[in-house]
Amino acid sequence: MAERTAPIRVLIAKPGLDGHDRGAKVLARGLRDEGFEVIYTGIRRTTEAIIAAAIEEDVDVVGCSILSGAHATLLPKVVAGLRDAGAADVLVVAGGIIPEEDRAGLEAAGIAAIFGPGSTIAEIATYLRAHVRTN
Amino acid sequence: MSEPTDQQGAGLRTTRELAQAISSVERGGPAADALIQTALTRLASERSQNAVVIGVTGPPGAGKSTLVGALAERARTAGRRVAILAVDPSSVQSGGALLGDRVRVEERPGDEGRFVRSIATRGSGRSLSYTAAAASLLVEAAGFDLVFIETVGAGQADLGIVRLADLVLLVEGPEGGDEVQAMKAGLLESAHLVVVNKSDRPGADRAVERLRSGLALGHDAPEVLLASAVDGSGVAELLAALEGLAVTRSGGGLQRRIAAHLAAAVEARAAQLLRDAESDGRLAALAQSIAAGERPLSGAVDELLKG
Repeated sequence: MAERTAPIRVLIAKPGLDGHDRGAKVLARGLRDEGFEVIYTGIRRTTEAIIAAAIEEDVDVVGCSILSGAHATLLPKVVAGLRDAGAADVLVVAGGIIPEEDRAGLEAAGIAAIFGPGSTIAEIATYLRAHVRTN
Repeated sequence: MSEPTDQQGAGLRTTRELAQAISSVERGGPAADALIQTALTRLASERSQNAVVIGVTGPPGAGKSTLVGALAERARTAGRRVAILAVDPSSVQSGGALLGDRVRVEERPGDEGRFVRSIATRGSGRSLSYTAAAASLLVEAAGFDLVFIETVGAGQADLGIVRLADLVLLVEGPEGGDEVQAMKAGLLESAHLVVVNKSDRPGADRAVERLRSGLALGHDAPEVLLASAVDGSGVAELLAALEGLAVTRSGGGLQRRIAAHLAAAVEARAAQLLRDAESDGRLAALAQSIAAGERPLSGAVDELLKG
């Protein structure tokens, strides 16, 4: 497969009842400056809406920012929904406040990476470039 | 993990296939050409009527996205299959883009009769991407009969959307339409319909008056309507006006899209040739030979376009 030339497309989503979107916006802007095409969908989206948007936008990555504590329920639903829609090749990553003890469970559910507070944009960009599908 | 292939999206039957097909035409190359051919074949054999493609332009902040969202909701309720292609600018520095139009559109998961796609301008540096016409052909072939294409909207001349759309709707805010701007024409000249959005805010009535009096100085002045995407007033009337105009301008839409796609491809190729000549020094060398009187400008242009 030839080396990827098109920009990587990332959906930044805020699932559930959580209006704290500062981090999501900083990340959206930062990834744009790193050369990504970032689709920002706004706050309080259902997992169904996030999955549908990811399919329509044909994104390579879905990044969920979540500070509400509902990560253990919502994030696996996003992974499963993408798989059911035939889009298991979309990378799902998470950011926000996610306790250490929940990480293993989320990773087992198919969340590729979790970026907690203190993660840098450059670190996230590097990870995504290395792990997205290649087309 | 499934290995992507060049045939991705060729079916255009499902949302995912359509979405992948749009990515493929954005990447370009032989796979993109094949997809457009598939779309044209499909349109020739399966569609008795062309889709209506409405270009939506206007200054940033006029409320284009919200208004398009409201129009789409209304048209969908009336049974139309509605697609929105929302174009936002790519960063010249990074090549990245922040595509935020979805924030203003109601998500309708599970509704196959609605499709929303954010498109970055990528290399075009204009109000539309080079691939907007191709994306429009794909959504039409996938069975959407009403397509809104929302441009970046910066700048007054927006030739790309005029070429591509059956109708151009210009959206102004309540502070818009100062008379000199209106006389300078630009966007106003090419709009088939003008709407002052945010009629819930003060000043909207006066903006309508300003636009009408400015437009009255020319001929074939488009109608100026008033609407509010937020409280919904005037949205039904606006949609009815658009559909009425679409009827009078029906026919030839598909040819228009193909011609727009061809024109955009030529522009993309010319821009690429220029970038190549800049990076390998030929542009500078040709400029020098013009300065030295060794070559006329037109000769240098021919040289560059040969690639």
